[in-house]
Amino acid sequence: MDGCSFVVPRGTISGLIGPNGSGKTTTFNLLTGLLEPDGGQVIYNGENLAGLKPYQIFRRGITRTFQVTRIFREMTVLENMLSVTGLDVPERVARERAEELIAFVNLGHLRSEYGGRLSYGQQKLLEFVRALMTDPDLILLDEPAAGVNRTLLGHLLDHMHRLQEQGKTIVIVEHDMNVIMNHCERIFVMDYGVKIAEGPPAEIQRDERVVEAYFGRRRA
Amino acid sequence: MTPREHLRNLALLGAAGIVLALTPYTLSVYLRTFAMFTMMYVVLALSWNIISGFTGYTSFGHVAFYGIGAYACAILVTDYRWHWLPTLGAGAVLAAVVAIGIGYPVLRLKGPYFAIAMLGAAEGTRVVATVWDSLTHGGLGISLPSGENSIPTYYAMLALMLVTIAVCYVVGHSRFGIRLNAIREDEVAAEALGINATLYKLAAFTLSAVFPAAAGGIQAYKVLYIDPPAVFFVQITIAMALMSMLGGKGTIIGPIVGAVMLYTAQELTWVNFPTAHLIAYGLFIVLVARFMPRGLVGLAIDRGWVRKGMIH
Repeated sequence: MDGCSFVVPRGTISGLIGPNGSGKTTTFNLLTGLLEPDGGQVIYNGENLAGLKPYQIFRRGITRTFQVTRIFREMTVLENMLSVTGLDVPERVARERAEELIAFVNLGHLRSEYGGRLSYGQQKLLEFVRALMTDPDLILLDEPAAGVNRTLLGHLLDHMHRLQEQGKTIVIVEHDMNVIMNHCERIFVMDYGVKIAEGPPAEIQRDERVVEAYFGRRRA
Repeated sequence: MTPREHLRNLALLGAAGIVLALTPYTLSVYLRTFAMFTMMYVVLALSWNIISGFTGYTSFGHVAFYGIGAYACAILVTDYRWHWLPTLGAGAVLAAVVAIGIGYPVLRLKGPYFAIAMLGAAEGTRVVATVWDSLTHGGLGISLPSGENSIPTYYAMLALMLVTIAVCYVVGHSRFGIRLNAIREDEVAAEALGINATLYKLAAFTLSAVFPAAAGGIQAYKVLYIDPPAVFFVQITIAMALMSMLGGKGTIIGPIVGAVMLYTAQELTWVNFPTAHLIAYGLFIVLVARFMPRGLVGLAIDRGWVRKGMIH
């Protein structure tokens, strides 16, 4: 990333798009501490998070999913969920929350199944609800639609909107333009590590710089 | 697991403890020693499993803690006239301190680098024990005062084994244990989900050090003579690892099963094939690794004979 700067309004669903290699996942990695920036700031609730460890950022209310699901394959669905809550949270409370979220995405009947034996779509759902265990305020979803059928995607998007209604802030990295244009209020566009455009979906669709980034310069 | 299942397991452990507590007087000296060594290897395999099974950081140097415990007992009994029982606690505390000192830098390494670093750490403690002769008596070793110790050391090892099993059981069925497993599965994802991996690894590493140290102390008092090659013998670490893997690394019952089976196999091959027991023993290990790579308990889980997961 190169001098990239943007502001995500609280309680909104924003999209982060750009061609492959434009720096979208790198942005998420910088926001969540998996990469340490060599310049710049990550301001969240008035605090600069740049340089903090991932677990420290998570505990401040920021969570994420990954481009390729990273569930714990040799652990059961329930264990995947319980791994997230801190030891200071009572066992009963953690279990209730886990069971509630597992039921939320209709994985209750698979609570004792190994994560690695779930279908890809089920793994996506598990990763999604696992990220919600501690009731985070900022949720970063990295390509939630990738490899997922339309029905399941619909469920995911419904859940996402319900979270927004609860006051959560969501940022989605996606290549599926239907998802971005129909579900995001604001879109940030990146190319070669730089933000090239920002605005509501209608504006982004007409932006020449965005078209050029995806399709190349028009021939004269 | 349900509370009923926990109670059942506690009852089983208690029953096993009672049976083992009643047997030593009925056994020959050979069988009593065999039973004691078996219990010792259960302790060692379970301890190794805490860091290498639960957390996935394979250690090739855990014999260092065993040796530290042995020397703590020998030095305190011989040079400071301590009673041998409190020396076990002293050895465990010392091993914990050393574990924190070694673990903090070494646990930043991953995979084979951590394994090799631990091998180096074990060798380092052996060298320290050899050259620091004003404390350890160096290569001459330490002879402990003789006395009837067969029965007391048997009961000490039994108590240690029961405590180790109980602690591992609690860890394995706790969210602390789940978080250790998460680190093993994917440390990056675990950190991204709020787990301070450094702290958890260090806690597991330290916990895994105290039981081998106590076992080493008991063993030192049993055999009444130790020297660096005997108590820092790399084959002890190899045995810990093999037993845990044979039974099922990362499970609770696995290292217990593996220790009992492998030590029994080792003893039977030695008795029946004295000239070729190492070959027979090695063949046994190869067959298990080839046909049961996840260990016996792993096989049972895959076949559905044992329920998956630690937490239900």
